[in-house]
Amino acid sequence: MDPNLTEVSQLFERFKAAFMRNDFDTCDNLLSQLKVLLTKFRSLPPLFEETPKAIHELTLARDIYEHAVVLSVKIEDQDAFERDFFQLKPYYTDACGRLPPSPQEYPILGLNLLRLLVQNRIAEFHTELELLSATALENPCIKHAVELEQSFMEGAYNRVLSARQTVPHETYVYFMDLLAKTVRDEISGCSEKAYDSLSINDARKIEMFSSVQDLFEYIKEEHPEWEIKNGFVIFQRAKESAPCKEIPSLQLINQTLSYARELERIV
Amino acid sequence: MTQDVEMKEQPAPSNSVTSVGPSTLQHLKEIASLIETGAYAREVRRIVRVVRLTIALRKKLKASVLSAFLNYALVSGSEVHSRLSSYLPKEDEQDMEVDTATSTTQAPVKHPLPELEIYCYLLVLIFLIDQKRYNEAKACSSASIARLKNLNRRTIDVLAARLYFYYSLSYELTGDLAEIRGNLLSLHRIATLRHDELGQETLLNLLLRNYLHYNLFDQAEKLRSKAPRFEAHSNQQATPILFLVLLRHQSVWDMFCRYLFYLGKIRTIQLEYTDAKESLLQAARKGPAAALGFRVQCNKWAVIVRLLLGEIPERTVFMQKGMEKALRPYFELTNAVRIGDLELFKAVAEKFSGTFSSDGTHNLIVRLRHNVIRTGLRNISISYSRISLADVAKKLRLDSPNPIADAESIVAKAIRDGAIDATLDHAKGWMVSKETGDIYSTNEPQIAFNSRIAFCLNMHNEAVRALRFPPNSHKEKESAEKRRERQQQEQELAKHIAEEDDDEF
Repeated sequence: MDPNLTEVSQLFERFKAAFMRNDFDTCDNLLSQLKVLLTKFRSLPPLFEETPKAIHELTLARDIYEHAVVLSVKIEDQDAFERDFFQLKPYYTDACGRLPPSPQEYPILGLNLLRLLVQNRIAEFHTELELLSATALENPCIKHAVELEQSFMEGAYNRVLSARQTVPHETYVYFMDLLAKTVRDEISGCSEKAYDSLSINDARKIEMFSSVQDLFEYIKEEHPEWEIKNGFVIFQRAKESAPCKEIPSLQLINQTLSYARELERIV
Repeated sequence: MTQDVEMKEQPAPSNSVTSVGPSTLQHLKEIASLIETGAYAREVRRIVRVVRLTIALRKKLKASVLSAFLNYALVSGSEVHSRLSSYLPKEDEQDMEVDTATSTTQAPVKHPLPELEIYCYLLVLIFLIDQKRYNEAKACSSASIARLKNLNRRTIDVLAARLYFYYSLSYELTGDLAEIRGNLLSLHRIATLRHDELGQETLLNLLLRNYLHYNLFDQAEKLRSKAPRFEAHSNQQATPILFLVLLRHQSVWDMFCRYLFYLGKIRTIQLEYTDAKESLLQAARKGPAAALGFRVQCNKWAVIVRLLLGEIPERTVFMQKGMEKALRPYFELTNAVRIGDLELFKAVAEKFSGTFSSDGTHNLIVRLRHNVIRTGLRNISISYSRISLADVAKKLRLDSPNPIADAESIVAKAIRDGAIDATLDHAKGWMVSKETGDIYSTNEPQIAFNSRIAFCLNMHNEAVRALRFPPNSHKEKESAEKRRERQQQEQELAKHIAEEDDDEF
């Protein structure tokens, strides 16, 4: 047995043990060591060399990165998530012909979609979506993220929030909580444009706060321009485009002169 | 399989070879001499003509003619000759006949030019692809590419660009596009280093096609945004002579259209609909009339992008000649979006789901649902001055556990995005549409008018700047002095335009 491989396997066992204990500091330490050790395998991306142990090494490396992604969610580090996910991705896209599919693949892809949604990177969300096959789109984990994006775009926010109860995987909860915050900001933005005023109780319900106190704090922090009077929240609606009272003469002169100059050049 | 094809092919040429054979061979010989003069005089233009003439001959290519031409153009017994001949089916009796005819003329060519050698590769490759012998085509094209990498001559570039195209095509036809991606990238690098613009553009297109074939939009966009830009030298004065050559060369236009199509696709996926629409419409309009399939594809994508932008394409788009049938699903889809009927939309998406997924537009159609709701909402807001949210939900046919709350937040978002002009009353549970104000009392028309004028003037200036004349077409008419004067004037004018562009406002 290759000594490198044995070392990695042993270290990974210790990592998994720490992972089960939720001892994330140890996990983080072990993970960095593992990543360094993985660079010694020549069968891994980007080289993809055909070595006799290639399949074994690839499977092990994929397993390690899958754990790394889940770990980054648990320690709530989005940057680490992105890094680990990109390291993991070639194992799903380029090595799929050689390895048996991983049971973790769809949950992790769905998780990534969710992350892009939370970070409001919709263009990348759709780019990732194009890579998925029709069967992948039917998977509950992927479907969940896709439906969320749809509801989010439509504005059916309560559907987004109720989706938290139906998460297909425990790791999704972290991102769903983040999403709730994004959704609340969206709702506030919409409400101040759509309503003249709301009763405090209605506002609390629409913004989905459990107590009036929370609502007041939120308003104080995020929207100090909203007014609270006689049990109503009064929104300062943006000024409508008022009828133009005076002629913007300077601008007009500028434009007319430029037309004249251009016309002169043509004739 | 191949045996079969040969068997069928055999009788046809034997009947017609007496009439067609010699003349085709004669044409090929003329082309060969054109290549020679082009190569010696270093005139790229002649080689461009060669490619055009070859494409005209394409249908007449026969194995017998080709082997005769190979005997004529290449030194028999040389490595290239034996390799290329091995791809051609043997036809003994005709070979003899033609051979005797050519052996007398074979003498003059002793050291075949690399141009001629590459041209032979190209001919054999085209022949193999037309005969549907894709695996041999793959081998042949790979060999030619390996040879090309060692050649650095400007006169080859045009032929090389065609070879790249058929190289990629032969791999696409066998479904192994992913294999050659690395090779194409390194070829693109070489072309860039050699300032081979035609090669760069061909390869860039092939790479984009390669990426998009596997839906790798991310990689495609990264490559596109970093590779030297196509538009950069089709508008600018890079090198007037080359530009002229390019303009005359029809396939450059096709390539540009293709590029626009890929660009439009990438932008659509990345939600830049306005830019995507521009590229796709341009591609559909400029696409060669003969390439019906290509224009249909462009139109399909353009229709979806316009729908996503909230526009409704005109009926004439769907009634274009030869496209009615292919665009039918998209026509029904447009209809559903126009009415804003969610049920109808779902039914259409279901009915044509096969077409949509084979067109690769399925995910885009999923995105359209949101637009259907918007249109429906806009119709409601126009027709009613006040309507309860429960009725809105019913009219939009929202099928959800809590339709009123959904309707409320959907309306709120539409108001914020400016799709409808209304207010909500939560306590009473209704939506009040606002009177549309008199737009002519604002500055709006003035701004719109200004932007249109600016567009027209800009178009004129662009056209003036893009005008180019062949350097010696009216040489005889004007003296050197006069010409200098004229050039100076032209330069001043160009400078003038450029300066004024800079200091506008």
